[in-house]
Order: sequence, then structure tokens, then C-alpha cells
Amino acid sequence: MPLITLDPTNGPFGASRTIAMAPRPATLKGQTLGIVANGLGRSEVMFDALAEQLTKWDDLAGAIKVVKPSVAVPPWPEQWAEITEHATVAVTGFGGCGSCSTRSMRDALDLEAAGIPAVCLVHTALVPAVQALCRLVGAADYPFVVVEYPYNPTGMWSVDECNAMAIDVLDAVRIRLTA
Amino acid sequence: MTVTSETFSHDGYAEAVEAYFDAGYTDGLPVIPPTAEATEAMLAAAGLDGPEVLGEVPTRNIAVTAEKAAINAVMAGCLPEYFPAVVASVRALLQPLANCHSTTATLAGAAHAVVVNGPVRERVGIVSGQACMGPGFRANATIGRALRLVVRNVCRTVPGVLDRASFSWPLRYSFCFGENEEYSDWTPLHVLEGYERDDSVVTVMSVMRLLQATEFAPESEAILATISETARLYGMLTDAFVGDARSVMVVVGVEHHRRLLDDGWTKEAVRETLFERMTKPTLGKYDSEVILAEPANVVVVAAGGPGMAQSQLIMPHLAAPTHERV
Repeated sequence: MPLITLDPTNGPFGASRTIAMAPRPATLKGQTLGIVANGLGRSEVMFDALAEQLTKWDDLAGAIKVVKPSVAVPPWPEQWAEITEHATVAVTGFGGCGSCSTRSMRDALDLEAAGIPAVCLVHTALVPAVQALCRLVGAADYPFVVVEYPYNPTGMWSVDECNAMAIDVLDAVRIRLTA
Repeated sequence: MTVTSETFSHDGYAEAVEAYFDAGYTDGLPVIPPTAEATEAMLAAAGLDGPEVLGEVPTRNIAVTAEKAAINAVMAGCLPEYFPAVVASVRALLQPLANCHSTTATLAGAAHAVVVNGPVRERVGIVSGQACMGPGFRANATIGRALRLVVRNVCRTVPGVLDRASFSWPLRYSFCFGENEEYSDWTPLHVLEGYERDDSVVTVMSVMRLLQATEFAPESEAILATISETARLYGMLTDAFVGDARSVMVVVGVEHHRRLLDDGWTKEAVRETLFERMTKPTLGKYDSEVILAEPANVVVVAAGGPGMAQSQLIMPHLAAPTHERV
């Protein structure tokens, strides 16, 4: 007689539903960049440098930045309201642990759901975690920007590294945020 | 009471155990194959319906139902009478301030302590005395393990996937113990938190570090100094999300407890003094401020057995201790 047992999980890993991506503008000219920073290390410096580069080369209208209250939680409601009221495109991240990176990915997906084109910056060491989170919430193919070594994953970069990283990711961020 | 989870068929018990390994449903140790009958017995013991939601991990779009918690409790080796404590620990972990996503997906590999107060300890055999933090006690071992299996199987915290711990650590197999409320007239943790003494309450505390504060000197002054100096080895920063709830836990061992009692120390006075010392300004790399809002954030618990003049410090990840009635 067979032994019948039960599935201890919530079902197959990977939801069948999908998250729709927000419509992309043709260019970043005149757009306002929302920055949802997790506050790790000098990630704010990197994001500021990125905004500066996009303003210089793409005629970005401006940037608005929020730093979340903890590295792996959503923004406070008032931060979320500030971003969604003013930003027309957005970046999230960056650096740190599995929970920080996956939460930043979730921030990007929430922005897409709010109609704001977004991109999450992810260190290559955390790519499997972020991909798992995307599968889990029904966004398996959601594109993101990968930062490679020699930048370390945990956000303790020098100011020079922050500036260099912003230039390194510039093209990829532009591609992800535009049609 | 009917369970609705997907079922698997096996040729026998041993085959089922192996199948759960193969499917990635275990913590690396064998599990009890969860049948419908065993799962329903768990739910009955807690008076819960399977679909009832115990809590959620919003970042992951995950809701933990009583049925899934019960299945994992069976797998962990729990008896049905343990299940109310498992339910309380799951609910506590899924409170917002327990920050489940952060504390389970972090590179730092935080674990969770399940501290139990009240009559349920004696009723089901949760040990608070000698060797209470280690192996050998079914209730301690399986309640703590059940919580971790829920974290793994329902909350999807699997190594290499959403569990990103660089090393992880043995406390992630299981970490549950009771407070020794009977050793003295110190006010039990749950009473300090506003519950009645006859309530049974579970406290879940994230564990970033477990530090041993060993002090053989008999003077209370030396004991309290060593405990605060141990906490200050690494210190603790603020976190805006956790805010004023950020806390450390001091598990006072029997030898320290005895000496503190001899000198007339209450638990409330101990936490006042430790708060004052832990929160002094940083003096150097291994003498760092433990930033806390008030004395109540030094959570003092009595446990352990006689012999070693030692207390244990539980330093948290980015979370606060959370409480749930059993």
C-alpha cells in the first residue's frame, strides 16, 4: 500500500502570472530620475554620479532620491509617494546582501506596477537571488543591470570606484529605461 | 478538517524520506513524511483550519497558511501538542518588525531564537535549564526546526537561491529554549512585555551573533561589567526601520543569576545597569556603543544550568524581538 504524503511548499517555484513593464520613453531627455537607494556603503555616491552622468549626456530634467529606512525593506510610504509623484523613470539598488538586492529588485517591480519604468542594479554575486525573486513574484524575464567584479558586492567602494561604476553602468541603465 | 495540499505517492516510508531529500524539502537531515492524518492532528491541536493565514512575506508574495506550517511541523518531528508553539513562532517571525525577508535572505546568515515563556513549557516539555540551547530535547529541537523548515519550504529560503548566507551556521537548524521562570522571582520576559504570568508566549529574536560572557568572579559588579563589555566588542548601530524597538537579549546563566540574586539584583535593575553601560560612547574598535532607546531594549532572560559562570548575549540582525501568545 503506497504512502501518501503532502507538499510542504507553496507549490511550484515561480508564479504563472506576470508583471507588466511600464511603457518606456524614447529617450531620457526631460525625464526625472527617481533613485530608490538601499543606503548601503557609498551607494548614494554612485547613484548621485549616475544621475550626474545622465543629466550630462541625456538631458535628464532632474533626479529625486530616497534612502530607505533599512537595507532590505520597502521605502516608507511618504518616500514611495515622493518617488511615484515626481519620478518618470527610476533606478533601484545597490550593493549588499541577498535580502538587500532582492528587496531592491522588488522595489523596481513595484515601480513598474506603478507605471514608472525602472531598472535595478545588481552585483553579479547576487544574480541568482534576484532571479529567484523575479521568478517567485511572476517576473522571471525582468531585465536588470549587472555590476561585475572587481567592485565588491557589499557597497564599501571608494568615491573613485563609485564614479567609475556610474560610468560603467550608464549605457545599460539607459537601454533598460528607454524604448 | 481536510487538507488540500498536493499529494505525493511513495512505495514506503524509506522511499518517502529519500524523496523529500531529492525534492530539496529538508534541512539536510531526514524528515518525517507528512501524511494528511498527521497534518490534520497538528491543525486540530491548535484549533486551526488549514487555509488560515498565519502571516506573510510581502517582498516575496508569500502567505504562510496553517496547513503548510502543520506539514512542516510534522516533517520536523513535532508532536501535535507542540504545534500551537510552532504557530506562535511563525506568527512572530512574520510580524513586520521581525523583518523576515531581511533576516532570512541576508549574506550575514542570521538565525532566529525562539524563547518560550509560560505554562506551555511544562505542558509540552520545553527545556529551560541545563543544556537548553543544544540537542537532546524533542520539544526544543523540533519546534525550532519546524520554524526553520517553514522558512525554507514556504518562505523559499533555500541556500543558493533566496538564502544567500556566505557561511550560514548551525543555529539555523533549530534554536528554541524556554525561560527558567522558576529559578527565582525575577519577572518573566512575557510579563515584562505586558502578558499575564499564566499566558504562554513565544518570543522570536533574530540572531546575528551569539556571544558568551564568561565571568568567574563572584561579584555582581564584575558579572555585569563582563556582560556589557562583551556586548560592546562589536556594538550595534541604529536602524531606522526597526527604530526604538532595536534590542539585545541577555540570557543570564544560573551561576550569574545566583550571584546577582545574592546581591539583591532584580531583572529590571539588571537591564537598567546594562543599558547604561552598553550605551556609553564608543571608545575604540572593540569597545563600541550598543545603540538602544531605553532599558527595556535589554531583554533579560534566565536560562541554562549550573556550573559554568556564563551568560549568553544574542545580538540581532535588522529586526526586533516579536511576541505572540501560544
